[in-house]
Amino acid sequence: MAIDPLAIDTARIPAGNTPPRARFRTPLSEVPWVKFGLTAIAVAFLALMLVLPLAAVFAEAFRRGVEPFLAALVEPDALSAVRLTLFVAAISVPANLLFGLVASWAIAKFQFKGKSFLITLIDLPFSVSPVISGLVYILLFGSYGFLGPWLIANGYQIVFAVPGIVLATIFVTFPFVARQLIPLMEQQGTTEEEAALSLGAGGLRTFWSVTLPNVKWALLYGVLLCNARAMGEFGAVSVVSGHIRGKTNTMPLHVEILYNEYNFVAAFAVATLLALLALVTLVLKSALEWRYGGELAAHGRH
Amino acid sequence: MPGEGARRAPVRIDVEELGKSYGSFAALDNVSLTVRPGELLALLGPSGSGKTTLLRAIAGLTATEEGTIRFDGEDATTLSLRERRVGFVFQQYALFRHMTVFDNVAFGLRVRPQGERPRAGEIARRVRRLLELVQLPGLEKRFPSQLSGGQRQRVALARALAIEPNVLLLDEPFGALDAKVRKELRRWLRELHTETGLTTIFVTHDQEEALELADRVVIMREGKVEQIGTPADIYDEPATPYVCEFLGGVARFETKAKDGEADILGSTFPIESDGDYSGPALAYVRAHEIEIVSRELAEGVPAVIRAVRPFGPTVTVELSIEGRAERIEAEVPRELHSGGELGLGQGVFIRAVSARIFPVN
Repeated sequence: MAIDPLAIDTARIPAGNTPPRARFRTPLSEVPWVKFGLTAIAVAFLALMLVLPLAAVFAEAFRRGVEPFLAALVEPDALSAVRLTLFVAAISVPANLLFGLVASWAIAKFQFKGKSFLITLIDLPFSVSPVISGLVYILLFGSYGFLGPWLIANGYQIVFAVPGIVLATIFVTFPFVARQLIPLMEQQGTTEEEAALSLGAGGLRTFWSVTLPNVKWALLYGVLLCNARAMGEFGAVSVVSGHIRGKTNTMPLHVEILYNEYNFVAAFAVATLLALLALVTLVLKSALEWRYGGELAAHGRH
Repeated sequence: MPGEGARRAPVRIDVEELGKSYGSFAALDNVSLTVRPGELLALLGPSGSGKTTLLRAIAGLTATEEGTIRFDGEDATTLSLRERRVGFVFQQYALFRHMTVFDNVAFGLRVRPQGERPRAGEIARRVRRLLELVQLPGLEKRFPSQLSGGQRQRVALARALAIEPNVLLLDEPFGALDAKVRKELRRWLRELHTETGLTTIFVTHDQEEALELADRVVIMREGKVEQIGTPADIYDEPATPYVCEFLGGVARFETKAKDGEADILGSTFPIESDGDYSGPALAYVRAHEIEIVSRELAEGVPAVIRAVRPFGPTVTVELSIEGRAERIEAEVPRELHSGGELGLGQGVFIRAVSARIFPVN
């Protein structure tokens, strides 16, 4: 019997004998096969495009067993690449931590002209191809470049040396920390700072005990992403590095060189280190999101 | 703070010709007023009337372009936030979200310079006493997110009082609370004020809150002071049409005055100006100033009963009269209602008992 709920005179229905209800779905839910179908497509796509290649990296690295794998890692050029990568990250991540904090502080807590222009500028490295980012430094500091001849004459080698790699990495990874902090700081506003100041705290004290603790998890999150990119950056670094083995080769560049020499086991062995870095980053990132999701919620995620 | 050595004498605040504008918008326009020592003063007005700007200017949170602010006669205009030593309670409380209640309240003591900073034990003692004062003992270890709105409000107050402020300033102290908590806190704030004796200013847009709580009320409009007075002054003798309308509960009539008098609802009243003003005038009559006259007398103005709201100590009757689109509300004694004289659609006569009439310039 079809029941029109509007037509039922509730007074005439005896207690305990409610009419059967038509199955009701909330407006935003879908029928099961649509749900499962969409999920299956997403999982299959991820497996094909992400998990399979990742598995292939490890499979290739261990193709000839553990010994060649380890040999490829302790080989002097590989060690030097690892050292250089860590060194570059150790400079560029703290630098961007500082720049990012300063920039987002300025943007979120003060009103000034050209603010939106500054925000656009911070996003620039994301929208420019990394190769261009590298070329910019060649144009500035290369031997035919803008400042290059003078610097080289005075004994400063920027391009095809470690300083160039550091500069290019800083450029490419600049937005990560700032992008993470700006929305959160804007959402939090300035009243807690005002409260601290009205209670007699100085500017520095207010920053350390109010502003910084309020953004610490977002800051860590940004640093994590920044670090992953700094260690993994290829394009920009490739342009400025010069690929000098044992000197200006970072891990991603080293992988490429080995691969081009058909030394697949060694190439993939070094690649596993980068893949591990990615996995560790992913785990830490998920842990942060899981534990401090609320405090990170204001963010545009990457 | 009570019991904290000799209580300092409450501070007097003088605001002299204060001016502040945002672009072409005058947030404060030549504002002058005096806050008496130990007084509880309300700044009342709609949003955009400059009341919060004035409060923030007194606190030192907002810079002003013109005028002077004095604490006990001394020029405080150029003093920093820290030097003014003002206890400020923010609208959304602005508690430090990553600190416990204890750390929040202790903050103002811990950031003092080395020589003036109390020892840890002394800080703990004072914080506990403040939490008792605001009736929140035992909540030291909670975080702000674990407190109700009313509790946060009290923590914010305790935190502001911890610095032993010269004056206490509260920005919409009850704005974010529900009606019941608001009433409780209102009474409690009044008691706290008596206990601390601090000169206290609070901002509100709720006329009932201001009139109930404050010693004196400042009504603001478009960056200017419209009227200052005790709640009784303001209620009984509103200085301008704006004050009448802002306080609400009035019927407004456009009328004509002749020789300093005007007719309203069958009665004649003097108008609020000198001399024999003749010309257009605005009249305001409160609901309880309208009387329903028995039909036999046939005095006043004929009206028709459109709705009756029979709750509260009096009965509110909505009436319509000829030549007026809006209805008029009258508050009449309950006896009239229980006597069955207030049927819907029934014709009656109404009369104004008193009215305030302002010339229109």
